[in-house]
Amino acid sequence: MIMNQRTRIAITGIGLVTPVGNDRESTWKSLQEGRPGPGPITTFDASGFTTRIGSEVKNFDFDSVGPRKLLKQASRCHHFALAAAEEAFVDAGIRPQSATGERWGLAVGAGMMSISLKELDVVHRSCAPDGAFDATRMAAPDYPADPVYFCRTQCNAGLALLALHFGIRGYSTAVHTACASGGQAIGTALKAMRRGLIDKMLVGGFDSMLNPIGLSSFCLLGALSTDNEEPWRASRPFDVTRNGFVLGEGAGFLILERWEEAIARRANIYAELAGDGNSLSCYRITDSPPDGDGPIQAIRQSLASAGLRPEDIDYVNAHGTSTQMNDQSECAALKVVLGEHLPRVSISSTKGCMGHLIAAAGAVEAAVCALAIRDGIAPVSANFQTPDPGNEAVNIVAGQSRRIPIRAALSNSLGFGGSNSCLTFRQP
Amino acid sequence: MSNVNITKEEIDAILPKVADIIADALGCDLDDVQPTSSLITDLGGESIDFLDIVFRLEREFKVKIPRGKIVEDARGPLAESEFEKGGVVTAQGEERLREFLSEVPADRFKSPIKSAEIPKLFTVETFAKMIIREQRASSGA
Repeated sequence: MIMNQRTRIAITGIGLVTPVGNDRESTWKSLQEGRPGPGPITTFDASGFTTRIGSEVKNFDFDSVGPRKLLKQASRCHHFALAAAEEAFVDAGIRPQSATGERWGLAVGAGMMSISLKELDVVHRSCAPDGAFDATRMAAPDYPADPVYFCRTQCNAGLALLALHFGIRGYSTAVHTACASGGQAIGTALKAMRRGLIDKMLVGGFDSMLNPIGLSSFCLLGALSTDNEEPWRASRPFDVTRNGFVLGEGAGFLILERWEEAIARRANIYAELAGDGNSLSCYRITDSPPDGDGPIQAIRQSLASAGLRPEDIDYVNAHGTSTQMNDQSECAALKVVLGEHLPRVSISSTKGCMGHLIAAAGAVEAAVCALAIRDGIAPVSANFQTPDPGNEAVNIVAGQSRRIPIRAALSNSLGFGGSNSCLTFRQP
Repeated sequence: MSNVNITKEEIDAILPKVADIIADALGCDLDDVQPTSSLITDLGGESIDFLDIVFRLEREFKVKIPRGKIVEDARGPLAESEFEKGGVVTAQGEERLREFLSEVPADRFKSPIKSAEIPKLFTVETFAKMIIREQRASSGA
């Protein structure tokens, strides 16, 4: 390995709320065992949709994650975020105090600003009672709009709730680059810390698009698996029979600290957050380029940022959505970047288990990489059996998880719109 | 608009529902929401909470409360220039406020009162009285 003189950043806390577990260790255990998260959608009546399955967070206690006053302005995924962030702080054994809050930062991958069916219904009833839309009715004195709704649905609403709840007063930002959000937020955090803007950070992502509007949008694009009778195997990244992703929800958070400070306080270090790569493919809104252009640059940048070479990588947590275009593009990129080392590197997509957590995906999968390094386990790529013709050399972790020493790992997140993120993690 | 003829019975009739709505909107325990509790000082309310509470009261009691209505009512017959000067409530304005906000304990009026701080005086009962006034206005009483 090339020794680098860059500021080293330690991951000292992890918190997770996912479709396969409401905390870090239960999620990690499920991922190692390949226990599936997807099932029939229960949070609303999805019976009329072409896809009626999703990967929901289960048995989650929404009322206990913060004061009622705060939760009034929290959406479904903000609750997941508050719980995962709290777990990360407890795990790290350190949190912002009034004297230290301004040296703590926050970077999150946040879901998109959207409107709920309830709110659409208000608009419809009030502005179009006879069918024709009349915008002036929105300004009428009897227009029954809930003023708090706007606060809850802004892209940075979750960022504000987290900062307020945990007393973080330093550098803060909310990133939304679709499925790359979580990864790019963590990459942004790494850059901010290397610049010395802050000493410690809470970083992560949260999302839930498991609602009628989110589901309908992805159904219209034909992006989701329609294997409604077999939800447990609907998400099968890199398998030749794959037919779309499974929409999931959840949150993942990490605590980042300067290496020397983490060592000085004898913190438990999962892994080093060593590199970040960020690029835009400029190809199509919904697809990643078949030749891997875009992801290639992100992965190379990330390796360079970590001071590592392809031969240093033992595991890749792929974006692996279980759509044909993603899997093709990502395999092409990995072939180009890893080159002759490709057959040796274990590659899996934990979306086979969890489904696709959209803006939270990159953050949750960053946590998975840190846990994989801690335990020396490459988690299984669930439901993978047969590779695409030409991808036989891509070393997918098939059947069961692998116990292997992991010196360094990559996590890819390739977003709708062409945004790409690649993070590099190293053994401490 | 005067409130001299709002009876205790009228207030008591709606107070439990108003308290319920305020407790829910502010995320506090119902036991803490007393008739004389100040929404800002005692219950931690913020400006967005006032919008939320008014929205919920409007829906529950089927009335329309224009934004800023309480302060406007509080000024009553006084012209704006008589009520406040340079952001501070005049002596005449303060007299009017004490009369209008008769439910607010007298020791909470600390001269000079800044106009921007008038909402700190508003109690749970202040909102109940506002509902009653609007109900009367809309029924033409």
